[in-house]
Amino acid sequence: MTAILSLRDDAYGVTIHAKVEELSRPKNVSLGAVYVTLDRLEDKGLVSSWLSDPTPERGGRAKRCYRLEALGERALQESAATAKRIWDVIAEVWGKEWAKRWAKEWAKER
Amino acid sequence: MGQRVGQGTVIAQAAPPRTAEAVVAWLVPPACRDEVVGDLHERYTSRGQYIAEAISTIPLVVGSRIRRTTDPQMLIMEAFALYLSFVGAAWKLDGPSFLNTQWGYLRLAIPAAAALATLKLEDAYARPGKRAPLKPILDTTFSFSVVWLSQFALLAIDPRWALPMRIMIYGSAIAIVLVSTLRILFPPCDTRPRSAT
Repeated sequence: MTAILSLRDDAYGVTIHAKVEELSRPKNVSLGAVYVTLDRLEDKGLVSSWLSDPTPERGGRAKRCYRLEALGERALQESAATAKRIWDVIAEVWGKEWAKRWAKEWAKER
Repeated sequence: MGQRVGQGTVIAQAAPPRTAEAVVAWLVPPACRDEVVGDLHERYTSRGQYIAEAISTIPLVVGSRIRRTTDPQMLIMEAFALYLSFVGAAWKLDGPSFLNTQWGYLRLAIPAAAALATLKLEDAYARPGKRAPLKPILDTTFSFSVVWLSQFALLAIDPRWALPMRIMIYGSAIAIVLVSTLRILFPPCDTRPRSAT
């Protein structure tokens, strides 16, 4: 859902997969796993999809584009809040210095 | 279609082999064929990468499609109808003697499981929006042609697991009627959910 959110109008299989791989680095995510997840998110009403016009660079095939629905935005906000709480607890236990160092390293990596 | 490099040089854009793409398109369920085949086409870098990616992607896509087209309640009802048809046929023709043989109940489950698996694959590969009135009967009948093939294969491999011919004939006939009726009354869902277009 984060990938769809950040890709805005360009969210379809290939771009979502690339974004998910970027977000989940260093773990690899297969294209098939992305389809399965997108199907599940769509079934739950968190995202919606539509077919675009066929394009020649895809061998004349259409793209299935995805958009975040209001329910998905709410779920994403809840996930972000959970991630923040986890981050706060870890930073509290391992210290603010560690948190600063880690944030710097992460920014460099991006 | 081509990509211009340097001055005046045009190279053909990398595209998967037509045969490989045709096979992939055939294996991907029609409901998601365009997007999956298109995405694989767009990601193509080499023949090996394309084949490896297709092999890892298609089973997940088919699995997801099966999950989407399967209603758990309907699945249980169909499984029950199929198994009862064969148990009923065995009981009617042989009394308890066949059922009391070793693995008797398990042998009866083999054709039921084969029919159910074929039906689920048929649902997954059905074209969304196209539902002919005779489709439930045709789908069920086709699934039993696969069941019969599996029984012939069992006869060739290990005849102890195959069912006697008369139980197969009666069981199949009852099952086709029951499952077709169920599928006419509760047609499997074949469309994408909610706001999808």
